[in-house]
Amino acid sequence: MTSSPSTTLREAARAPARGSLRGHAARAAPWLIAACVVGYALVVGGYAATVVAFALIYAIFVSGLNIFMGLTAQVSFGQSAFAAIGGYASAVLTTEYEWGLLPAMGAGLAGALAFAFVVGYPTLRLKGHYLSMATLAIGLITYEIAVQWDSVTQGYLGISGIPPLGIAGYEATTDRQILIVLSVCVIATVLAVARIRRSRVGRAFAGLAGSEEAARALGINVARYKLLSFLLSAGFGSLAGSLFVHVVGYVSPEVFSLHMIILSFTMLYVGGIGTIAGPVVGALVVSVLPETFRAFRDYQDLAYGTALILLLIFAPRGLAGLFTAIEEKRSP
Amino acid sequence: MTACLKVEGATKTFGGLTAVNAVSFEVKPRSVTAIIGPNGAGKTTLFNLISGALPLSDGRVLFEGVDVTAEEPEAKAARGLIRTFQLVKLFPELSAVENVKVGFHLRSRGGLLSALLRPRWVRQMEAEIDGRARELLDLVGLGTAADRPASALSYGQGRLLEVARALAAGPKLLLLDEPAAGLNADESARLASLIRRIAEDGTAVLLIEHDMHLVMNTADDIVVVDFGKKIAQGAPDRIREDPAVIAAYLG
Amino acid sequence: MDSALIGQSLVSGLGIGCVYGLIGIGFCVIYNASGIVNFAQGAFVMLGGMITHVLLVRGQLPYIAAIVLSVLVVALLGVVIERLVVRPLWKRNAPMFVMILATLAAQIVIERLTFLAVDDQPKTLPVFTDLPPIMVGGVAVNIQSLWIVAGSLAIVGLLALFFKGTRTGKAMRACAINREAAALQGIPVHGMLALAFGLSAGLGAIAGIMLTPTQYTAFNVGVPFAISGFIAAIIGGFGRPFGAFLGGLTLGVVQSVAILAFGAGLKTVVALSVLLLFLFVRPSGILGAAK
Repeated sequence: MTSSPSTTLREAARAPARGSLRGHAARAAPWLIAACVVGYALVVGGYAATVVAFALIYAIFVSGLNIFMGLTAQVSFGQSAFAAIGGYASAVLTTEYEWGLLPAMGAGLAGALAFAFVVGYPTLRLKGHYLSMATLAIGLITYEIAVQWDSVTQGYLGISGIPPLGIAGYEATTDRQILIVLSVCVIATVLAVARIRRSRVGRAFAGLAGSEEAARALGINVARYKLLSFLLSAGFGSLAGSLFVHVVGYVSPEVFSLHMIILSFTMLYVGGIGTIAGPVVGALVVSVLPETFRAFRDYQDLAYGTALILLLIFAPRGLAGLFTAIEEKRSP
Repeated sequence: MTACLKVEGATKTFGGLTAVNAVSFEVKPRSVTAIIGPNGAGKTTLFNLISGALPLSDGRVLFEGVDVTAEEPEAKAARGLIRTFQLVKLFPELSAVENVKVGFHLRSRGGLLSALLRPRWVRQMEAEIDGRARELLDLVGLGTAADRPASALSYGQGRLLEVARALAAGPKLLLLDEPAAGLNADESARLASLIRRIAEDGTAVLLIEHDMHLVMNTADDIVVVDFGKKIAQGAPDRIREDPAVIAAYLG
Repeated sequence: MDSALIGQSLVSGLGIGCVYGLIGIGFCVIYNASGIVNFAQGAFVMLGGMITHVLLVRGQLPYIAAIVLSVLVVALLGVVIERLVVRPLWKRNAPMFVMILATLAAQIVIERLTFLAVDDQPKTLPVFTDLPPIMVGGVAVNIQSLWIVAGSLAIVGLLALFFKGTRTGKAMRACAINREAAALQGIPVHGMLALAFGLSAGLGAIAGIMLTPTQYTAFNVGVPFAISGFIAAIIGGFGRPFGAFLGGLTLGVVQSVAILAFGAGLKTVVALSVLLLFLFVRPSGILGAAK
């Protein structure tokens, strides 16, 4: 995977602690924690596996959100729309029309990308609170449509009996099988995001994140790369939506409500916006921690909201930021 | 010799105010041209008209003989017209060398697919970009700061980094907006010789500058503007003696 | 279509439009003082009705006392949110969307606290004056709608006097035009920010109290109201309080007509579509953006 030896050396030199053991440890820490949590769920199975499976699906969704918000520094409060399109396409096509899993997922993905393309063109010209509000409106309209279009979505009742994950006769039905499939999906997502970030495309994203004016002066077509970032984000959102309905076997509009937005933003900020590991760590921590206090079910959204406010004020770089901060302080 | 850049009657009005009034001049290939003038004379506005950041109210901009008046900044950049900013606009989250690598956008290729698959040619290209970005940092004297985050650089270093980043884009004409502002004497001297070298290597340079020492040492040709109008143009020696210029600066 | 029915829906549209307008004014007041968009605005509307209900039913207070106390409590809560959530971020120069996210989170927190403190059942309030509807040319106008319209107009008038006639009001306008310059003139900019939150919260509460007798309130009605108020502000040209009021009326009427045409189910979709239409086609609103 690496190129010439000199580049490898230089890449290592770019790491926080210049290739020291501690530097590697700091970078590996979030992944080790994530692996431990997933490993524990694999061994224990049952309810723990369900919770972690849910977290892994969100890890994919939040990784997508992170491309648009973290790598490209744009705002979208409406990514739930794309998860809804993916989820409902999978649900309706596999139950009502008895499509296979992959074609249904692909149709959902195509639908989400087409929708993102159509709304992205006018929306991404907006800035600041206009962009925030337009994207929030897109998310909420999608939710309302899911509620109202009951001939297809069955409204609040939802669609049940959605087939489990599976390819070519092999079906992931047990908790552990589901966990393994989802882990593979998360690893693929993380690798994809990491590769995008260190590519020419990723540098263009970083450029327009840093200064649109400077990016344009360097010949970067800001409008095109914004749209590309939005499409990528929508694509991962759609896949996460599809995975969700197949794992749970049921979908209703509530899955894609404002709750989803608040939850995913909490995850993004807990883990660390703009980092590769952040979405995964954030999704796991935010999903797993409340479960350890299951007696306080009613307090969940309260806890998410409060945690989010505290994080925004006191630790805007999240847990992943914490690891690098510790490392930067220690290394001279 | 055809002009690299030709500005014909460039005019910009904001409401009733005429910030730039029918300014015409040329930039010759391999030369350094400086735009000077008192504060508020319209120099930066003129720059924004040339780079495409602002639309012209009247007049034309020709680059290598092609009318580029109405082109967007990124289209002009793609032609080789690259600028820096008076208030440095770095990518603060990235390291110095990564900032320069962003500058290679126009001179590299690859989209989403190649980013995901990372085939051999992409890996080779990335290695080459990394090497050349570091060379550019060495050239502007930031070689040792290559891996520091851009936000940790001093103001003067930030300016030099912006120059390196602009050079990465392979300019045919480099527009520098007050490159010496905030630089110490050493950095300023280094910048002066760098500007000469850039011009000798074949890139025309157009700069706005208040540091007269730098201007007189580097410029082949000086355009003086005051109240949005060109009041003089010529070689440094002639400009020094021009009565209109002296009046503008003293009165 | 039945003209009486259309008249009816226009009247109710104007009533609800006034409420959207007041919420929209709240958005503008805070935006002008701080440059941020406060998504907790809907929580104030919900709390206005909810706290009045609690004071009235559980506290056995007289109606008017419950209303006044409720408005004061909500206004105070507005100041508290400014101190606890907004100011720390504002001082750190946090990005705009972080502020929006934080106020959205504050909205959720208030919602859940209300849910825990009260319950999830819809609550209503008695009408202000128990009189039969007035018939105007075959259109039945209920008295509470008249209260809403008259009350809203009175508030808009008072606000105009406040912004134009008082030192504090002028100081707030100065902050809206240029915060740095205002600070140099010795205007306490932080104080103005707190005042803006108090004022907007109070406005939201009044809107909620006037509306609740004709509809109902519950812990989760806040977000739709916040969105409607925001749409009103956008239609009016963001940052223009009186434009926002007109925007509210426009939205109220459009929505009522849309309910008549497409049914109540799609009213949110219609409102949001109006928003997107304005954002895409004329983001500066009908009057043009402030500044």
